[in-house]
Amino acid sequence: MSEAILELRGISKSFPGVAALKSVDLRVDRNEILGLVGENGAGKSTLMKVVIGFYRADEGKYLLRGEEVALGGPDDAIRAGVGMVFQEGCMVPNLSVMDNLFLANERGFARGPLIDRKRMAEAARAQLEEVGLGSLDPRTSVGGLPASRKQMIEIARLLWLSKLYGSENPVLILDEPTTVLQESETEMLFRILGELKKRASIIFISHRLEEVVSLSDRIVVLKDGVVVSDLERGKADVPSIERLMVGHELAAEHYRETMQAGPRGVVALSVRDLSLSGKFEGFSLDLREGEIVGLVGLLGSGKEDVCRCLGGSEAPSSGSISIRGRVSRFSSPKDAIAAGIGVIPIDRRNEGLATSLDVASNINLLVLSRMRRGPFLSPALERKSALKWISECMIKTPSPQTACATLSGGNQQKVVIAKWLAAEAGILVLDHPTRGIDVGAKDEIYRRIRELSAAGLSIIVMCDTLEEDIGLSDRILVMKDGRTVREIPCPRGGKPTPLDVIGYVV
Amino acid sequence: MSDTIGSRGGMGAGIGTALARARVSSFISRGMNGQLVALAIVLAICAIGTGGMSLSPKNLQTILSLAGIPLVICLGIHQVVLVGAMDLSTEGVISLCAVVAGFLIKNPLTKYDLGFWAVPLAAAIGGLAGLVNGLVNTKIRMPSFIATLGLGWVAQGLAVVASRGNSIKMLDPSFQLFTNGNLLEVPNTIIVALVLGAILFAIQRRTRLGTYMYAIGGDEALARQAGIKVDRVKIAVFAITGCVYALAAILLISRLASSNPRAGKDLMFPAMTAVAVGGVSLSGGIGGALNAVFGTLIVTVLNNGMVLMKISPYVQNAVNGIVLIVAVALTIDRKKIGIIK
Repeated sequence: MSEAILELRGISKSFPGVAALKSVDLRVDRNEILGLVGENGAGKSTLMKVVIGFYRADEGKYLLRGEEVALGGPDDAIRAGVGMVFQEGCMVPNLSVMDNLFLANERGFARGPLIDRKRMAEAARAQLEEVGLGSLDPRTSVGGLPASRKQMIEIARLLWLSKLYGSENPVLILDEPTTVLQESETEMLFRILGELKKRASIIFISHRLEEVVSLSDRIVVLKDGVVVSDLERGKADVPSIERLMVGHELAAEHYRETMQAGPRGVVALSVRDLSLSGKFEGFSLDLREGEIVGLVGLLGSGKEDVCRCLGGSEAPSSGSISIRGRVSRFSSPKDAIAAGIGVIPIDRRNEGLATSLDVASNINLLVLSRMRRGPFLSPALERKSALKWISECMIKTPSPQTACATLSGGNQQKVVIAKWLAAEAGILVLDHPTRGIDVGAKDEIYRRIRELSAAGLSIIVMCDTLEEDIGLSDRILVMKDGRTVREIPCPRGGKPTPLDVIGYVV
Repeated sequence: MSDTIGSRGGMGAGIGTALARARVSSFISRGMNGQLVALAIVLAICAIGTGGMSLSPKNLQTILSLAGIPLVICLGIHQVVLVGAMDLSTEGVISLCAVVAGFLIKNPLTKYDLGFWAVPLAAAIGGLAGLVNGLVNTKIRMPSFIATLGLGWVAQGLAVVASRGNSIKMLDPSFQLFTNGNLLEVPNTIIVALVLGAILFAIQRRTRLGTYMYAIGGDEALARQAGIKVDRVKIAVFAITGCVYALAAILLISRLASSNPRAGKDLMFPAMTAVAVGGVSLSGGIGGALNAVFGTLIVTVLNNGMVLMKISPYVQNAVNGIVLIVAVALTIDRKKIGIIK
């Protein structure tokens, strides 16, 4: 029977308002490749951060090679032979490959006060050989290397450190390594991982389920912070994993579907063949008044870039955007605002709000010109407008003068929405509007989105989960690798299941 | 999961630009081609402007002699810039070290006559000042820009108080003889500066401290994560720089055979320009002692040429200002900086 190297028992971790992990058990055996899958937001990230000691679990036991440990941080984890390889590698770009490999551990190469560069280069070459990079000159600067190389160097570094600290059978976590790789590079990575397996264990995280199925000895499926399945090799196929990832059927009333009004009236926003080189191509969309369209796709599918172009923060390389029949060119967010497009960004604290300003200032930020009496701003008008939107959007704040930083996530989001409503935006782009918001506040946001659509606003939305996308939208566009691959209608009462959709997404 | 890790982007294009950028950065850090070209251009302009006078052996010797002290100062500042910090205490610390050294070398005001033993003692004072800079920067977590600006004025104030505002005559002639002397027609000051440059170069390229300096300048968070004691390295760098300032102070007062509490005045700007012109990235991690040498040579040749061409000193100042801005514009990848404060 195989022997567990790393074992988590009953790990729970909560953040304010969200339980990210709920009593998770995870076992990694010796010489094993463990596939870890789950939707965005399922808790994979949090779980791995617990494994590398970046987070400490609220509850549960962490056993390494049979002994309970309490890791103080990622460097502790590395010393214990547990390390994570990030997509782009985690290396100082201006240093050489060998400097990065041995960074902070050059003691072994000291000759008096100096470093023996020759010996260091030899050791680096030997270490690189192990991961199939024998031909790479260890004196090359890391900054210009492709991501595939950086990943390999990172793996080499972790292997070397585990040798240095004498941890046998190290555990390497690879976080979506293949998304930055070309096909041939992926094949090479898999070949090397197959080799590495003989003296290490690997946790392999990927959205590409075919890869997970073909590579992994065992697959753990995570959903909503719970391990929903632990499948042996051969018992897992892509459709069954998809079903497990998506989980239960849609609850009908969860997204306030009874309030779903559906598109009415004229086309508010018309996008034709919009492209941004290297990011997405040929994106077209007719968005009508009152319509909610969900953009679905993995990170990097191009949906975020579409929204950046619509919001004016990035200039498309070709194609046109017309608003109510008028072709518009956005050279900056200001133009998009003037055209009536409001973007509610995913990163509320940094991009959506001036958190150090008070609620009133944030709400009135875009309409200050209307708050004027003569050349001066009128505090009375500002206050009036602020109070109106605070009650309209049901923002829970002690006063209009409260700093936004002190509000809860849900209320901050309402302030952002109020800002755009005050600016009379006709088209809203909602980038993960419920990210980091607790359940109750989520429902309020859903209701608010329905009301806005009923009032005739056109909305483009990108959500945390497929369920949310499907539940909120009148139709969804599925994007993959920069192209729209599918349009799926989601009318009230006729919603597809996430399972119908996920096949197009991954 | 990947949303915590950052952008992914179009692969092909991404790699292409990354490679191009790496080539540019290694061009700046390893090869000195850009600096050589710049030096050649400046030499050519000055030669044309002065009808070849600027290239006479006598004037070349003058240039080397003029470059010595600025090079020492530049070598000091560039170390701090390499770790991604800034040092604006230069002038104050040099003034303080000048006054201390003035009191320790034979003079009419005190009974001390330590001779060359004044050098290590002044270096200790400079190192101490640098140590305080580093401590305030790392332990009180004060931006180095502010910490060193403030402490520089403290040092300047101490220099004035200690000397009561007087200049101090140096009665030991050996200092002046040395600084104004030559070895095989090469001015002693530039030799001292180059030896210092060679030592710093060796530290940068061949020691752990040097590797850590580059790592911190390249990405401080990653360096810390890798287990480097970032604070200790930064404090050490500030302290070394302080010692280097002390050396500059001694050369400075020896040349005039007189010390005064304003010795450091107007010395920082040319050195900072040389740092930038030499291609040391102001965001840290790129460049080294060799860049400081070339930067100082370029700036010195330019200023010497302008004097020979009888350009008004006010215009000279303006030219230097423009050179600084252009040099920084060429070395910083401003696209990577989201907000410029």
